Amino acid sequence: MGYVDVAGVRFTLPDGRVLLEDVSFRVGDGACAALVGENGAGKTTLLRIISGDLTPDGGSVARTGGLGVMRQFIGSVRDDTTVQRFLIDLAPPAVREAWDAVEAAELAMMEGDDEPAQMAYANALGHWGDVGGYDVEVTWDTVTVAALGVPYDGCKYRELASLSGGEQKRLALECLLRGPDQVLLLDEPDNYLDVPGKRWLEERLIESRKTVLFVSHDRELLARVADRVVTVEGGGAWVHGGDFASYPAARTARHERMAELRKRWDEEHQRLVDLVRTMQQQAKNSPDMAARYHAMQTRLAKYEAAGPPPDRPPDQHVAMRLRGGRTGVRVLVAEQLELTGLMKPFDLEVDYGDRVAVLGSNGAGKSHFLRLLAGQDVAHTGGWRLGARVVPGFFAQTHAHPEWLDRSLVDLLWHGEPGRPGVDRGRAMATLRRYGLAPQGDQLFRSLSGGQQARFQVLLLELSGATLLLLDEPTDNLDVLSAESLEEALGAFDGTVVAVTHDRWFARTFDRFLVFGAGGQVYEAPEPVFDEARVQRTR
Amino acid sequence: MTTVLAPRSSDDESVEQAVARLLAEEYGTLAGPQVVMGVVQNARRELAGSPVGALPELVERLARYRLHTSVS
Repeated sequence: MGYVDVAGVRFTLPDGRVLLEDVSFRVGDGACAALVGENGAGKTTLLRIISGDLTPDGGSVARTGGLGVMRQFIGSVRDDTTVQRFLIDLAPPAVREAWDAVEAAELAMMEGDDEPAQMAYANALGHWGDVGGYDVEVTWDTVTVAALGVPYDGCKYRELASLSGGEQKRLALECLLRGPDQVLLLDEPDNYLDVPGKRWLEERLIESRKTVLFVSHDRELLARVADRVVTVEGGGAWVHGGDFASYPAARTARHERMAELRKRWDEEHQRLVDLVRTMQQQAKNSPDMAARYHAMQTRLAKYEAAGPPPDRPPDQHVAMRLRGGRTGVRVLVAEQLELTGLMKPFDLEVDYGDRVAVLGSNGAGKSHFLRLLAGQDVAHTGGWRLGARVVPGFFAQTHAHPEWLDRSLVDLLWHGEPGRPGVDRGRAMATLRRYGLAPQGDQLFRSLSGGQQARFQVLLLELSGATLLLLDEPTDNLDVLSAESLEEALGAFDGTVVAVTHDRWFARTFDRFLVFGAGGQVYEAPEPVFDEARVQRTR
Repeated sequence: MTTVLAPRSSDDESVEQAVARLLAEEYGTLAGPQVVMGVVQNARRELAGSPVGALPELVERLARYRLHTSVS
């Protein structure tokens, strides 16, 4: 039995901006609620308030059933945290405290093995047993075997940094889902998981009877798992009581209702203002009207004091206009192409207008293939060529542009680069505005969120006049609305698209599927294939 | 008057193991088997309530410390 009840929460950022205002919602026992909202809307802040990491300026959070939290950074831990320490940090507070006491007593015994130190150690061990520590260790053994295939004793001193991002996520999820906490807060639990890993997560969340509040941008995961959707937008939050399939319609209806209520309030307000003005004139000529004039003034004051209903949240203005242009019929021809050491030779022909999704597990060589087509230096044998009037535009995973990190967006647009002419500040700001990036125009690229960096890269593609889009995981960091906007833009793009993706929802919008198999073979499939095994290579 | 019959601590494996190990060291000759047995049983009584799995180590450590103090 567990629930989370958020009532009237208000949170102000250090710079004085109100991020959350009067946020109220409840996630009841056994519910699996998705927390959605655009990048920077305050989802992670709200999770941190619920978990007690942040104190709100107003309002309250009530919860029962023990709280397990998986934070966003899990998957990218690169410090010297061990598996043991990681599991302890995910355990309930009583277990954590008992463990810390045992460790402190062990240290004290190393310093001086006298009678008080030994009795303190015995007491600490007794307390460890009382809080269920030995049972927790049995659970940890199950967890490490399930996530890593190794017993707890065999990996407890291993550094977390030596595990892949997916293994770190899997370890945390196994621990929380098998643990005693009845309420789980999961911040992007699917990041770093490949498609089989995401499917595993979906099954486990569907089976689980725990109360779960999770943040995710993966529409497939949202559609399969969420039984309600909490939306953070416009500084507030509201709950759609249905699944994700019915969510877009519910959101549109809500926005229309809010706009209608606001319109009615404005109309009534104008009517009262007009009445007050009329009566003011009449009161000048007729003392009898003075009392009615004052009564009307009071009525208007009360109406204004009650305030208008909240306005509809501003739409996320992301208008991507990928234009492209007509090219030769044959856009790409590859003959017996082989990326050295990555895959077996294959032939490929891509025609004008094709939408080709490149699928396969990590390490299969998909990104190298895209980089080769983008004109970068990638070792290969066999031949490949682009057709007439084909101009490739490359969207790389965000970490692939170290040279952009310390430059502002306006600066990057102003100077241009080979193949993309620079634009003046006015046009740069206008373009940034269409992508919802105008406030970040003078910020450094490194300071943008992952979603903002991704949007900026699409913007550069728009300006480059590319007729062949080469996209490497373009939706990875995009919030749901931005991903939909990108899909719309690609739908209207006059040209050819080749995209590497693990996003099942996004992949279904393509019409050809090129699969990089685990055994090095490259083949075309009539449907998306997501269960290719991970490529094993000797390193 | 009521007499509470406590389990004999000498039945405990942790006691037997600790006595055997301490007698095999110098405490068998320096303190004698009776003293070692008494010190170990006392330690076991005082550590009652500790996790069973940890008892052998805890009992032996405490008894060794006390024997070492008394002998030296």
